Amino acid sequence: MKVVTWILRIASIATFSAMASLVYLLLDSNDIWHWNAPYDFVVTVFRLMSLVIFFLSSTMISGLASAFAGGELPNDLVVGLYNTLVLRTWYMQPYGVAGPLVNLQQVWTSFGANMSSVLTALWDNTFLFLYFLCAGIGIALFLQSLVKMNHKSVGGAFLSIQAIIIIAAFKLLTVPNLDPFPADFLIFLGEWAQILAIVSFAYLEVSYQMIYSYSVGKPVEDREETLKKQLLALRQATRKQDAIERGERVSSTSMSRTTSVTAFSFLREAIERKVVGTQDALENLDAVSDVRRLQIYVDNLLQTDSKARDELTAKAAAPSSLYVIGSTITGFVIRFLSVVAIAFILMSPAVITTILDLPIGIWNSMEILQPEMMLLLFLPIVLLFPFIAMVISWSSKRTEVVKETLTKEDKDLEKKRKKDLARRRKEAAKARKERKKARRKRRSETEVDEWDKALEDTYRK
Amino acid sequence: MITQRGFVVTFAGVLLLTSGFSFVNFYLVLLGVYLVIGLVVTLPLFALTANLAGIEVDRQIDKVKVFSGDFLRVRVTIRNVSRRHFDFIEVHDQYPETWILAIGENFIASRIEPGSSITFSYILQARMRGRYHIGPTEVIMRDRLGFHYYKRTLKEQTEVLVYPTWKDVRRMEALGKQRQLGLMFGAHRTKTVGMGADFAGFREYVPGDEFRLIDWKTSAKTGDMVIRQYEMEKNIQVICMVDASGSMGNGYPENTKLEYAIRAAVLLTHMGLERKDLVGTCVFSDIVHGFAPPGTRPNHMYNVLEVLAEAEPKGWSDYETAIQYVVNNTKKRSLFIWMTDLEESPAPLLNAMKTLVANGHKAMVISPFGPWFEAPVGQFGPVEKVLSEAVSEELWERRNKIAKALAKFGIEVINVGPEDFLPAIIKTYNQAKQKGVAMF
Repeated sequence: MKVVTWILRIASIATFSAMASLVYLLLDSNDIWHWNAPYDFVVTVFRLMSLVIFFLSSTMISGLASAFAGGELPNDLVVGLYNTLVLRTWYMQPYGVAGPLVNLQQVWTSFGANMSSVLTALWDNTFLFLYFLCAGIGIALFLQSLVKMNHKSVGGAFLSIQAIIIIAAFKLLTVPNLDPFPADFLIFLGEWAQILAIVSFAYLEVSYQMIYSYSVGKPVEDREETLKKQLLALRQATRKQDAIERGERVSSTSMSRTTSVTAFSFLREAIERKVVGTQDALENLDAVSDVRRLQIYVDNLLQTDSKARDELTAKAAAPSSLYVIGSTITGFVIRFLSVVAIAFILMSPAVITTILDLPIGIWNSMEILQPEMMLLLFLPIVLLFPFIAMVISWSSKRTEVVKETLTKEDKDLEKKRKKDLARRRKEAAKARKERKKARRKRRSETEVDEWDKALEDTYRK
Repeated sequence: MITQRGFVVTFAGVLLLTSGFSFVNFYLVLLGVYLVIGLVVTLPLFALTANLAGIEVDRQIDKVKVFSGDFLRVRVTIRNVSRRHFDFIEVHDQYPETWILAIGENFIASRIEPGSSITFSYILQARMRGRYHIGPTEVIMRDRLGFHYYKRTLKEQTEVLVYPTWKDVRRMEALGKQRQLGLMFGAHRTKTVGMGADFAGFREYVPGDEFRLIDWKTSAKTGDMVIRQYEMEKNIQVICMVDASGSMGNGYPENTKLEYAIRAAVLLTHMGLERKDLVGTCVFSDIVHGFAPPGTRPNHMYNVLEVLAEAEPKGWSDYETAIQYVVNNTKKRSLFIWMTDLEESPAPLLNAMKTLVANGHKAMVISPFGPWFEAPVGQFGPVEKVLSEAVSEELWERRNKIAKALAKFGIEVINVGPEDFLPAIIKTYNQAKQKGVAMF
């Protein structure tokens, strides 16, 4: 199965690269791929921050200075303090001022004029930055998906790349579009926007197939690996124990530590404690005994049952690679063709008007050319599939064999057991009542029982 | 049912559709349509193929009765009895929470062809005695892309009875072998004059003695008629009264007072059977939960183990009901060893003892002292420390009074903690053998 996963991994890389490069090329006409955009964005953000800090600190300093100078605002003092404390220490250069500050009022006036330009630059840079951010996230998640085989990473990578187009569409840039939607299926297939859509869909499909292939093959491989590690850890643990019993000194090795990590808890505990504990202490350790018994049990099992190892690793469960490749290709082609064909039927205005036999007024209206028109067919068709599935699953449930959890004998036994318990409780309660009655009677006869007396004597003391 | 992955695709599809509508962009709408159609288009086909009734799961285990701490192999076979492929099937076989998965894994994920089967196995360590169930088995079926799934839980369960731990017996046997202790019959026999083989001494002849017992040589030397006497080998009958009331369940898990009492009962039964003594066991609280009458049959040990395996700490201790039940079912004189924490009111206990003595039985109490089984005082804060010490003192005072009351009638109370519970039972048994208590 590893081969199949690798083939699909390469296909996933190819489709993602195609999707990403198509997005790059189709948006390149907008001149948005400025490689210095992230730097510009960060610089703009810092300049805005310096503006705010200047405003706050100069206000505070002028307030303090005016308080000490008897209500007047000494401009030079404020400027001096700002230059010394803020500008030199943190190099927070206020926007629009090149060197040290000379006149505070002048700077404040310049802010009023420049504030809007700073914010506009920030707004523009934010979008440029977002394209790069989305691309970066998309690539990172794509790489993660190749290693972790995680569907969230695949979905995240796909959405991040598509988000670039959504943001660009929001900014009213030139983005891939199919406006007007072609009436001819072949023309539709040849459109760049359609090619991008198909490649994007292919990326999702191939990546999910890759995860499927990995999930089907990996558990069996993992089982075998885990079993090997567990048996190795077990063997080492018993060897160490033997060595300790012979009086040899045992040291902890990195090998034993790593293999023991995969083993179960008491085995790990046994290994660790054996290294530090004394022999007497170890003899008392149940864990050590458990490890030895497990070793004997496993050895015995593997010797007596030739299938035991294969069953523990579930080797027979590994699916055939050829079948997985074959079914992946056929499944992919069928899904692909049906999705493209259905999408064309749903979206093409010519098909909609033909199928729905719309009045001439709508035929000639502008609304027929709007994307929302596809909802007319889209919603019923999309809901039809789950409905059919629901009907099928309802009917197939009838064939489901509902097995009884308890056999008749078991039920009878359980009933008998409960009845017996109730009877015993009843008898015990009855006996208690009788004893109580007898005791009361004895008490009234004022006969002192020696046991009661003994107890009373003891409590009195 | 739509999986999480399916929801991600739905979200992406709706996002693209709405974006396409907002920005009048057919590309975004088209991609949204691709995603949504891609999600639902295979749904009817999946519903048609994913008929979970076509999957059968069969579970096999090596043994249905095991000792606590023993290992058990569970084999699970999944069969596809339908004529369809199942692209992705996950099978989780559940096992009791307290058990440990020692080797292998209890689940598998794979595809399964029509008419074929998959077998996987795993090894569990049974922990804590009791009646357990392995299962149910959860079968999850997914489509290839993992957008949809169907789940079914197969309720078949395999019952396993876990006996109390056998480790104490193993330890004792190992110790016995090392020290060459005689485990054979007669190693600690009762020295009673009678029909045995070993010489015990002489006594004067009294009319009625058998002539063959007269030692003529000694008689000639002493001038009086002397009879030769021999040691008689006798066995004893012991009944363990295990209190399974709620208070006996206190202490660390797997090391509660009840667990120790059960381990002691197992050990005592084993020792008794080794020496051909009769040992019975009664588990009681407010009713008698189980009683294995004294016996020496080969499978007697298993009867005792079954009674002990199902003991659960609940209810209160009704000593009188318990003793009445056991006395009615016991014909011979016996030594009753009570394993109870004496946390009930003393009057019923004394009444029970009265019944016991009146029927000619002997008794003694091995009593686990609650505070010794719980968290060490060193782990407490100052307030808890003071409180726990006060409670301990109160309990100690109380049990001293009960012990004094019982001592007046020759019934000894031994207070034990986790460390000396088992040695106490061994010592008690050996002393009973030496003294010849409750011989039959």
